[in-house]
Amino acid sequence: MKDTVELVQRLSAHPDSRCWYVAWNPKGSLLASCGGDRAVRIWGKEGDSWECKSVLSDGHQRTVRKVAWSPCGNYLASASFDATTCIWKKKNDDFECLTVLEGHENEVKCVAWAPSGNMLATCSRDKSVWIWEVDEEDEYECVSVVNSHTQDVKHVVWHPTQELLASASYDNKVCIYKEEDDDWECRATLEGHTSTVWSLSFDPEGHRLASCSDDRTVKIWKECTPGDGEGDGSTDTWKCACTLSGFHSRTVYDVAWDRLTGALATACGDDGIRVFKEDPAADPEQPVFNLTAHVPKAHSQDVNCVAWHPQEVGVMATCSDNGEIAIWKYESEV
Amino acid sequence: MTAAAARLENANPLIFQRAGERALTAVEEDETVADPIDDREIFDLIRSINDPEHPLSLEELNVVEQVRVNVDDQESTVSVEFTPTIPHCSMATLIGLSIKVKLLRSLPDRFKIDVHITPGTHASEDAVNKQLADKERVAAALENSQLLEVVNQCLSTKPV
Amino acid sequence: MAAESAQLAGLVEEFVAGQVDSKAADVAAGVKAGNFNILELVEALGISLTSSQSQTRGRGVQLLSEVLQECYSGLSEREVEVLIAFYENRLKDHYAITPHVLRGLKALAKSTVLPPGSAVSILRSLFQDVNVQSLMLAERSCVYNMLISLMGSREDELKGLGPDFVFGFVQAVDGERDPRNLLLAFQIARNIIHRGYDLSQFTEEFFEVTSCYFPIDFTPPPNDAHGITQEELILALRGVLTGTPRFAEFLLPLIIEKLDSDVQNAKVDSLQTLAACSPAYGHKELAEFLPGLWSSIRREVFQTASERVESAGLAALAALTSCLSRSVLTSDSEDALQTFLDQVLKDCQHHLYEPDLKLVWPSAKLLQAACGASYRSSLIVTAAVLPTLLDQYSSRTQVVCQRRTLLEVLHGFIQPTPSSRPAEGEESVLLPFQVSLCSAVFSALAESSAGLQITATKVLATMGQQPGLLAESEVEKVVDHMTRLVLEEEDAQVSLAVVECAGSLSRLHPAAFTSRMVPRLKEEIFSAVRQRCVAALAAVSTQPVLVRESAPVLLQVLSSVHSGSSSFSVEEVTSVCHSLQRIAEQAGGVEEIGRFFHDAVIPQLLALTLQAALQSNSDHSSALTQEAVLSAVVPVISTACAALQTDLAAKMAAQVVSLFLDGDVSFLPDNAYPSQIQLLKSQSESWTQSQLVCLLMGCVCSLPRSVDVPDVDRLLGQLEELSCSCSHAFSYTSAAKCFAGLINKRAAGQALDAVVEKTLERIRTTLDCESSAHRIQAFTLLVWVAKALLLRYHPLSAVSTDKIFSLLSDPQLGSQAADSFSLLMSDSPDVLNRSCHADVRIMYRQRFFAENSAKLVQGFNCAEQESKSVYLKALSHIVNNLPRQVQLSELPALLPLLLEALSCPDQAVQLSTLSCLQPVLLDPPPALTTQLEALFSRLLALTSSPAMKVKMAALRCVHALSRLPEHMVLPFRARVLRALAPPLDDKKRLVRKEAVSARGEWFLLGSPGGR
Repeated sequence: MKDTVELVQRLSAHPDSRCWYVAWNPKGSLLASCGGDRAVRIWGKEGDSWECKSVLSDGHQRTVRKVAWSPCGNYLASASFDATTCIWKKKNDDFECLTVLEGHENEVKCVAWAPSGNMLATCSRDKSVWIWEVDEEDEYECVSVVNSHTQDVKHVVWHPTQELLASASYDNKVCIYKEEDDDWECRATLEGHTSTVWSLSFDPEGHRLASCSDDRTVKIWKECTPGDGEGDGSTDTWKCACTLSGFHSRTVYDVAWDRLTGALATACGDDGIRVFKEDPAADPEQPVFNLTAHVPKAHSQDVNCVAWHPQEVGVMATCSDNGEIAIWKYESEV
Repeated sequence: MTAAAARLENANPLIFQRAGERALTAVEEDETVADPIDDREIFDLIRSINDPEHPLSLEELNVVEQVRVNVDDQESTVSVEFTPTIPHCSMATLIGLSIKVKLLRSLPDRFKIDVHITPGTHASEDAVNKQLADKERVAAALENSQLLEVVNQCLSTKPV
Repeated sequence: MAAESAQLAGLVEEFVAGQVDSKAADVAAGVKAGNFNILELVEALGISLTSSQSQTRGRGVQLLSEVLQECYSGLSEREVEVLIAFYENRLKDHYAITPHVLRGLKALAKSTVLPPGSAVSILRSLFQDVNVQSLMLAERSCVYNMLISLMGSREDELKGLGPDFVFGFVQAVDGERDPRNLLLAFQIARNIIHRGYDLSQFTEEFFEVTSCYFPIDFTPPPNDAHGITQEELILALRGVLTGTPRFAEFLLPLIIEKLDSDVQNAKVDSLQTLAACSPAYGHKELAEFLPGLWSSIRREVFQTASERVESAGLAALAALTSCLSRSVLTSDSEDALQTFLDQVLKDCQHHLYEPDLKLVWPSAKLLQAACGASYRSSLIVTAAVLPTLLDQYSSRTQVVCQRRTLLEVLHGFIQPTPSSRPAEGEESVLLPFQVSLCSAVFSALAESSAGLQITATKVLATMGQQPGLLAESEVEKVVDHMTRLVLEEEDAQVSLAVVECAGSLSRLHPAAFTSRMVPRLKEEIFSAVRQRCVAALAAVSTQPVLVRESAPVLLQVLSSVHSGSSSFSVEEVTSVCHSLQRIAEQAGGVEEIGRFFHDAVIPQLLALTLQAALQSNSDHSSALTQEAVLSAVVPVISTACAALQTDLAAKMAAQVVSLFLDGDVSFLPDNAYPSQIQLLKSQSESWTQSQLVCLLMGCVCSLPRSVDVPDVDRLLGQLEELSCSCSHAFSYTSAAKCFAGLINKRAAGQALDAVVEKTLERIRTTLDCESSAHRIQAFTLLVWVAKALLLRYHPLSAVSTDKIFSLLSDPQLGSQAADSFSLLMSDSPDVLNRSCHADVRIMYRQRFFAENSAKLVQGFNCAEQESKSVYLKALSHIVNNLPRQVQLSELPALLPLLLEALSCPDQAVQLSTLSCLQPVLLDPPPALTTQLEALFSRLLALTSSPAMKVKMAALRCVHALSRLPEHMVLPFRARVLRALAPPLDDKKRLVRKEAVSARGEWFLLGSPGGR
């Protein structure tokens, strides 16, 4: 481990409660956080310091589990245990609730915008993944409900360039979906984790997908193109290219692939954050990831989320059960 | 659970003698000495939890025992195994949840708390263990007022 | 006359036409004064009473009624008759007039000259012309009150109405909703039942119209001015429903139905109502419903998680059983009690033999409830249960905890209740089981399980209290077992149980203990188990014959300690003294024991301690010269002296005083003392002698007040000198206490005042001289004298306490002066308390507080910043010792200061204030609730105090606050939960424990299912 991670700032973001998730806006000028206090907070930089710019507290009746910025940066979606997803529109420095997406039977656990900004995916404890379409009038319409998992769906994430969606579940599996004849269907099921899969992240190019789990491992999955001789075209094939095990001592709650540097960061229930880098010398078919930095007690409680800054190299945000957000600077030794 | 007409799953369970109160030692009264959190202290936190269907404590039903409590104060970890009175007990998750909530409310937040079913004592052992280990599900359960009500009743010092 | 009638006409006119309500009172005053009479009023009202305008008629009737309410007692029978006829007629009038008519009738009904027949006629008109439930609340109340007063005065006439009266009542009450009126209605209903009105064909209607309120579910509205409680309504209704066996056929099914309810209060009310029926019911009423009642009771007791339901269920079963026990046996009918108990036994008995299953306890409690209901039921139940229980006990040799449960269950069956105790000529139901009970108990005593042994001692003690249950030969075996356990058993709890059991048995069987236990204990008194022997000796010394044997053994120990021939530690020696004290306490005024203490024990103690004092030197000092030991000897002497008969007490006083004043040792045994003994003379090197003054105190300060202490002035003089000039703290403090104890009891008058004034002057002089080496001595004497005077309300007490107040600003003594208020306000264990016959006026604390709190507050306000804490400390000591009721009433005025005290950096002040606040917080006065913000911020700050005790006390206070009404404290919940997180990780377990329980309660606050 030769790289360093320096703490830039620590924020008490959701006092007396957990902070579940943080998300940077596309420009990296704002950070949204959400938590058990039923609120979403927006943070912006003033001078060298991150300060709370607004509190969105009247949208949800229960825990806000995740937040997601639209690719244009003008909308924010929040998913809550109250079974709804709120769409907030940015107006100058303020946010107003544009619409509330209802339909899930119970807790909505994740929401994600497609790279085009025209589509949105949500998932819930009701085991389903919903795909929504957005039109020019800001109207949202559910176009598909997919029930491929047998248990709660914990996370959804879009491919960085294609209209392809991945979901992670309490049933230990990851599903990959594509649109087929106006309907979305599961094209591949990734099995290998031995417990709940908590989060997913595509690599910058979208060739590979990282998943993290309650089984204390991170797996890297690689898409096999038909040319590789694997798969028959009707389903896509993803295979596990490598497993990072032995690094984490409790559940790995989040994994994030940095678009700028390709480094892979994890958030873990052992209070630590870790950064891995791929060994450039290794066979691309059998990649090797090395732990290059580890902050053992990054927070005083579980770390729930890690997010790389979209523009500034090495900057990342994490959040924890103790209600805090921390901003870090990762320095890679060249 | 409250309706008189409702029949208990196990109307006449085995009952066990309660451990006495922990004896006070001179060391405990000495301000200069630190008392580490030990197994007995954790056991004392959970032994008086009320069973959801009997007017008895988890200790009296032998659902919790001190030997199945393991704490490491230095490492900030606690692990508790509990034993449902019958292998098909439908209250197992609720009992586990009560134990977990009691520990969450009573222990410093540095602790990692694991609550499991004693291996081999319940038909749905893995499923219950997995649920109890999923903090997202636990958090959601505690936002459900019916569930929270039952848990709170289990944790009330006076029987309701 | 004309003037008066004109005046009356004017008043009437102003009331009726002018709507001036106050004129009614003027008319009434005129009637009372005899200016005009009622008939003149009626005449004056004249046309208004017959006006075609209903409003005018209403005003007319209203005036008449209001006057009647004031003046009904002065009416003649004829006037009453006329008025009643008028009012009855008006009942048919416009509904707006009815309220006034009813008020008039109510007033007339109270008249003592009500003509015969008018009560009936009023009621007939009332029942016929008025729909009571369409009236307003106050009018309905008026009707009920009229019924109540007529039932009180005209019972025979009302009964003459026959069932019509009951029917009329039923119709009047049907649908009543107001709790105040319901209490009146229930009172009428009770009267109907208990005074033998004819219910006949309306029994069921009568039951229906009252039972529809059962079970009562009433929550008084907030700020309820009427103060009616749910409990009041429940008891009133219960009195009606259970009042007559004729309701049985309706009530019992209703009870069975309501027991099925989900509402706990309904269950409890049903069970208590059932229990209340039993005195009035017999087998005839119950028979049909017994199976249903029993199965409901059993279900509730088996399943409930609530102690209230359980105890109500058990009481109901006992009541049913006792009711059946009263049924007379006839040769041709079955025995109802036997049949019922057979069912109970069938359903419960088998659970007793599954001692590790849950139902063993509810089953045992049910059977024990039935067993304790009557002698006959105890015969039946014990005959059925005991043989198998005993059999199970002896066969389950494998599992100790099962045997213990069986024995515990057994114990519950052998305790007779007041209802099941054998009467004259009946013998104990346990007699047939005497032998097997003994053998079970003996086998348990021989086990190695502590639990089993302890239970066995309980069984033994219970058996021992029932005459005839332990034969003399068994008693001897029992005593041998006890002796063995005292000598051999290492487990402290078992030891304690055995010793207590031996104490209880020794009262009834002293001989066996004298001959078998005491000699063995005596043999072992110097062995390794001496501590247990000492404790056991004390416990069994309950009878003179035993005391004569045991006390000398203990004295012998002290003697050997003095002579150095045994190696008892100081703790062991003090425990020997405690044992002697226990013996003195147990004597409870038995003269024979008192005389023994007077003749032997006390002289021996004095002799031993005196010899120890005289013989000690720098090379050798006996344990009997240690302060701890002497402090333990004091209560032996004072307990014994306090119980002495007057003549012995006087003798004791004379002997002890002459010993201390003149060195007269003639009453002491072992007469080898130097000739010149001067115990009260202070010599710097002879503190071993001067400290013996504590024994003088133990004796002369605990004697009955009727005993005159001889030579008291000389004695007081020497005590004053010793306490003012001695440099040995224990000596001068004991001398001060002895002085105080004497002046507290000395007869009021010139002599006393002179002594006190002289002493106070000396104290003042010494204290005022800041360079004096004896200021602390003077201060100590001042505090004790102040206490002695304060307790008896002596006029000079203010002088002494004012001096203490002035010392609060003394740089040298300020802090001790503050602490001395704790001594003034609390009970002293060894002197100046009620058990040593001190003159202690009731409520002296309140009085002191009332007279002095203002001084403290003022002193605090004027004090320099750095000495303010002294005043707070003094205040917290005083408030802390006040009775709770006074604390509550004084708190509003003191609260700002107490809150200030919580922020005071002195930990002792914090602690004392917290311990004073905590009980108040459990039921806080309104004044507190406006200061919650200040209170919370200070308490929460103290939860992170560096001192463990402060943290714990603060946490207890925060815990107590969780019980305040939710709307008041809920706003603080998040803050409290946050603040209580760090103490969960405190390094001390005791702090964590308080934090856990407080935080747990705060989590429950405002949370579903919590509170």
